[in-house]
Amino acid sequence: MTVFLQSVLSGVLVGGIYALIGIGLTIIFGVMRVINFAHGELLMLGMYATWIVFTAIGLDPFLSIVIVAPVLFLWGAFLQKVFINRVLNALPQNQILLTIGLGLVMSNSIMLIFTSDYRILTTSYSSSSFTIGELSVSQPLLVAFLITAAITAGLYWFLLKTDTGQAIRATAQDRDAAQLMGINVRAMSVLAFGIGAALAGTAGALISPTYYIFPQVGGTFTLKAFVIVVLGGMGSVVGATLGGVLVGLTESLAAVYVASGLKELVVFVAFLAVLLFKPAGLLGKTRA
Amino acid sequence: MAEPILDIRHVSKFFGGLAANADVSFSMAQGMIMGLIGPNGAGKTTLFNCITGYYPPSKGEVLFKGVRMNGLQPDQVCHLGMVRTWQKVRPLAKLTVLDNVMVGALARTHSLKVAREVAHEQLRVVKLGHKDQMLAGGLPIGERKKLEVARVLATKPELLLLDEVMGGLNPAESEEIIQLILDLRKRGLTQMVIEHDMKAIMRISDRIVVLNSGEKLAEGGPREIADNPEVIAAYLGERVE
Amino acid sequence: MDRRPLLGRGERGFGLVGILLVLAAVALLAIFPQFVKKPYVLHMGVVLFLAIIQGQAWNVIGGYAGQYSVGHAAYFGIGAYTTMMLLELYKIPPWWGIWAAIANAMILSLLIGSITFRLRGPYFVLASISVAEIIRLAALHFKGFTRGAEGFLLSEIPPLHLFGTSIEFFTKRPFYYAALGLAAITIAVNWMVQHSKLGYYFQAIREDQDAAHSLGINLAVYKNVALAISAAFTAWAGGFYAMFVKFVDPNTVFGLDISVQIVLICIIGGIGTILGPVIGAMVLVPLSEILRNPKGLVQIGILPADSAFVSFIEARFANAHLLVYGILVVVVILFAPDGVLGVIRNTIARVRRRRAGAAAGEPAAAA
Repeated sequence: MTVFLQSVLSGVLVGGIYALIGIGLTIIFGVMRVINFAHGELLMLGMYATWIVFTAIGLDPFLSIVIVAPVLFLWGAFLQKVFINRVLNALPQNQILLTIGLGLVMSNSIMLIFTSDYRILTTSYSSSSFTIGELSVSQPLLVAFLITAAITAGLYWFLLKTDTGQAIRATAQDRDAAQLMGINVRAMSVLAFGIGAALAGTAGALISPTYYIFPQVGGTFTLKAFVIVVLGGMGSVVGATLGGVLVGLTESLAAVYVASGLKELVVFVAFLAVLLFKPAGLLGKTRA
Repeated sequence: MAEPILDIRHVSKFFGGLAANADVSFSMAQGMIMGLIGPNGAGKTTLFNCITGYYPPSKGEVLFKGVRMNGLQPDQVCHLGMVRTWQKVRPLAKLTVLDNVMVGALARTHSLKVAREVAHEQLRVVKLGHKDQMLAGGLPIGERKKLEVARVLATKPELLLLDEVMGGLNPAESEEIIQLILDLRKRGLTQMVIEHDMKAIMRISDRIVVLNSGEKLAEGGPREIADNPEVIAAYLGERVE
Repeated sequence: MDRRPLLGRGERGFGLVGILLVLAAVALLAIFPQFVKKPYVLHMGVVLFLAIIQGQAWNVIGGYAGQYSVGHAAYFGIGAYTTMMLLELYKIPPWWGIWAAIANAMILSLLIGSITFRLRGPYFVLASISVAEIIRLAALHFKGFTRGAEGFLLSEIPPLHLFGTSIEFFTKRPFYYAALGLAAITIAVNWMVQHSKLGYYFQAIREDQDAAHSLGINLAVYKNVALAISAAFTAWAGGFYAMFVKFVDPNTVFGLDISVQIVLICIIGGIGTILGPVIGAMVLVPLSEILRNPKGLVQIGILPADSAFVSFIEARFANAHLLVYGILVVVVILFAPDGVLGVIRNTIARVRRRRAGAAAGEPAAAA
């Protein structure tokens, strides 16, 4: 039983961070209908940015979010304005290929600069954990989860309560109608990509104390992000939140009850199942 | 009438809670032209979609030449002899005009040679023969509509469903289409025509069915329909001469 | 706007000229090894031909039928592993084993098709990637069967006894000819598909699936046929690769890299054309090889051993071929989505317009 609960706990903690990645991706898709295959690379950039800041000025990774998030936001906005914007009306396949290309450029540029050596960011608490009853809780994961929860709450508030946030949601719901209502949809696209990138970068910062940092790390996260987003329904922030936790749980349980080496495979199989049987996601919002 | 070629029996189509079609029934005799009219959102295209297998009706039956069509796929419907054109034209943009029509013709033959001949013939009928090597994506709207008609004609249908084929055309182009429709009737083709152009509908239709909010509001000859007060009310008051 | 197709999908035109060109090229390439003996050059030839085969194979499902599978490594890998395992474990020579490989790939394609073809556009892309990843991860995990990350190392290929002679596979030459032959076959198959009912139907599906459906095209059947053809040739390339490189492991042959590269080959050259993959391969292969192995240029005598260019590339761009791929993709998608052939086509069309305008007495319109 303990094993089960432990597995559930780690799954939920990791799932929170996954949720952050998924939310970023779903906002991008919601507003622009673009499938961002470079999302994992944005996370990777967040990890490297955190590592650089940590190595340079010794700033704690969780604190460096204040630097990393805005930097990634600007980078995302740049990518949107210069590249993504040009293909908004192109075939979705071409959009995907463009983002794949951008992802390749990002990961391989980092590799040229930093080599493919694995880097680790060790903080004083990197491997510490504390116990609740019979369960052990990894400290960095817990802090990351709490920060994620806070950010997510802030994001919800932004989207629901502020004018800009509502403008973004309007654009996501019906781009043409939003434009007719006077919303600057192009600016919304830039904003959405920026926010998506910032969230991915933040997730990168959050996991940097506990994951290896290397240029190719983005790949798995991109695919996971898609699983999350499809599970939750493309464009649904709430869906991505739940999807993230669900994927974290599935992975964690699979690692224990199926086989550790197959945990990612299980996620993919679950992904295919969802694509086939509930393509609009478990919460069912947009069309497949 | 003798066995109707198309028999719509109590067809309803629900989308969530919305009834796009509600208990619609009528039938068509072979060789006739049926006009299908109604205000926007009345459910006309939905009915076309149900009839041609794009999606199945939620309730009711569609019988074509006595064969039950519910649940059949669009390609099967085509092979049985029923085709439709689309409200928003769907040219196969990167193919040439000729190739577009050949795709239709290939429904009836495996031979490219035969398909090519059929295609040339249909293009001649709609007067697009001179543009056969142009890419379909480069055609203006009027010619795209004609292309679509040629393409479905190449499948050698017995029943042709035309969805606002005159939409967006200038008077000269519309007149061409009207003549074409009348010509096709002479050749024995049965047709159902959705149109907003009332004058055209009055000219070509043998009978008219009026839909409103998913229900069948009225059915009858052109004169009856034009004088029907409910129909007039549904269109917000315009007596059609 | 006159957008007459350039090298006509018309009734005559390109067909004959193109065929002759291709035959001439094949003939030239066939006698090439009589004059150039350097094994490195022959090696590059094989790599080039393999890329052409992969590209032509993908073209059938991606270029004609419009279903962008970014998971074709699944078929490549199945081809590689089947051929390799049959040889290493059961001593079945590759010229028999390859048929099993192709059969496996076609069965797999039917399975994958039945699952993924209900999905449209980007969802299909995602599903195709997922399937390839599942296979890769499974191959890594089930070590008992596939030897996991260790992979299979080829011990030796038995000689092939044909028409009274015995062909050994120790040098590059027999591979060169086999690959050339296979590439020619794949191009021929592409051509036959394009000029058949299949080709028309595939392209109709690509242009507008719903319209195609209503015109009597059974989407499931035709998509699966396209995928089966594509999978078969991709697997053939995979089996060949295994014999040529003599080593397979899951991350190489089932990797996303392979899938992306295959798509790239077609995109760069021009999607949905017969020569597109050839051009794409001719761009990608030398480029990636120079970056991966600049000393190769020295080996074939193009550059001296102390060339500054070689040292520059070595120092900075080792393994940067992926970076260049990325940049290429971005540039092509943004500026030339119809690939090299598309650029050529548009240029010629523009020239034609200018001429037509001039002939009609108008000043040449700014095109």
